Amino acid sequence: MNEQPDRARSRSDTVVFLACLLLSTGMLFAPPARTARLASAIRNSILVPLIWMQQTAEEGKASRSRLALIQAQRDSIALLAQGLPALRDENDQLRRLLGLGQRRSLEFVSAEVLHQTSPTDGLTLLLSAGSADGVARFDPVIAPEGLLGVISSVDRNTSIATTWAHPEFRASAYTDGGGVFGIVAPSAPATATEPLLELRGVPYRDTIPSGTLVLTSGLGGVYPKGIPVGRVVGVIRELTGWERTYLVLPAANPGNAAHALVLLGSAELSVEGAFPDEEP
Amino acid sequence: MPQRSRGKLAFVLLLLLLLQFYLRPRLWDSRAAPDFIMLGLLIYATRARPGAAAVAGFFTGLMMDSLGPSRFGAAALATTMVGYLAAWGRAVFFADNLLVHAGLIWGGVWLRDFIVLLASGATGRALVWQLAVWSPVQGLTTAVAGVLLLVIFRDWLAIRLEA
Repeated sequence: MNEQPDRARSRSDTVVFLACLLLSTGMLFAPPARTARLASAIRNSILVPLIWMQQTAEEGKASRSRLALIQAQRDSIALLAQGLPALRDENDQLRRLLGLGQRRSLEFVSAEVLHQTSPTDGLTLLLSAGSADGVARFDPVIAPEGLLGVISSVDRNTSIATTWAHPEFRASAYTDGGGVFGIVAPSAPATATEPLLELRGVPYRDTIPSGTLVLTSGLGGVYPKGIPVGRVVGVIRELTGWERTYLVLPAANPGNAAHALVLLGSAELSVEGAFPDEEP
Repeated sequence: MPQRSRGKLAFVLLLLLLLQFYLRPRLWDSRAAPDFIMLGLLIYATRARPGAAAVAGFFTGLMMDSLGPSRFGAAALATTMVGYLAAWGRAVFFADNLLVHAGLIWGGVWLRDFIVLLASGATGRALVWQLAVWSPVQGLTTAVAGVLLLVIFRDWLAIRLEA
């Protein structure tokens, strides 16, 4: 069955190997839009039964091993929700007093995270919800703990989310309470074994204490306001007299996420309805 | 390779594909779970010519890239090299020994991770941590799965395993 060494090292083998290397390297440097179309075509053809199988396995695992956890979370949420009607009434009254319209609610679709074996799995996630469920590009993806990322590619039954750990991820954010604004981006400090985030562009005059919660600001039209991003750990670097950059411990870990929520149509949400008609 | 042996090898590879997508998600942390696709590639590569192993590696990587396209082409590049090197190394160096096979599988998984991370632009301590902790662990679980598979299917895969 085994081939002879001299035959195995023949010229044709080398040519085929070099051709494969060339194709791989070409794909590495090809325009992302083109490779995304190729990836989508492969996912929507030969990989359909395999993705379906993995989705079934993930759902089976969730229904067995995470049942107790989900029940505990449901009980906690039910307890919290008991006070919600009173808060909603109070909020409506205050909005009426201030002349504001009704608060906009977000629709969402839940999805299983289909993890892969690649070492870069946490940078992008394959989700088991696609355009058939209403998912579109640039829809935010969240976990119960906080922000995971944004949808970057959509197929009929699956979608790809680019997580906060991806080098190209950016989001506008502010600190809870203090109202300090900045841009959140992935960070790879020399001392950390897991990817972290950093809050960039914080004015030098503002100081953020460690432990402060960082939330999405809603600026930019992709992420709605108020999604937890993480907590400030400390200053990572500063430009004297100009700005500071803070290290942020992310709220949600894409590597461990088993379940995600995709917020539908958040980019198309308009805040116009939340304000009263302007007087002529 | 005789037609019957090809059929048996195809059955084993199909079984590994099913294990990858049906059993692996039910196991522990995905970073430490065995990579049955890499195992299939390495089993095929040690029984094929380097050119055929490189092509198999390329398509395996293309599939991996499609499922997690953080840097499309990185996995194809890595598995092409791993497939070619495994076939070439098997033809020149390796004997039918369980430990040698286990080492080949471990090394193949680690090398794949190393190339994917480099091609994806990973840097810093997170890269070192991945290569020093998670990749060896995944390589180990894959090697254990590989040894079990080789023992179970040794007649089908036509290998004479020494201790």
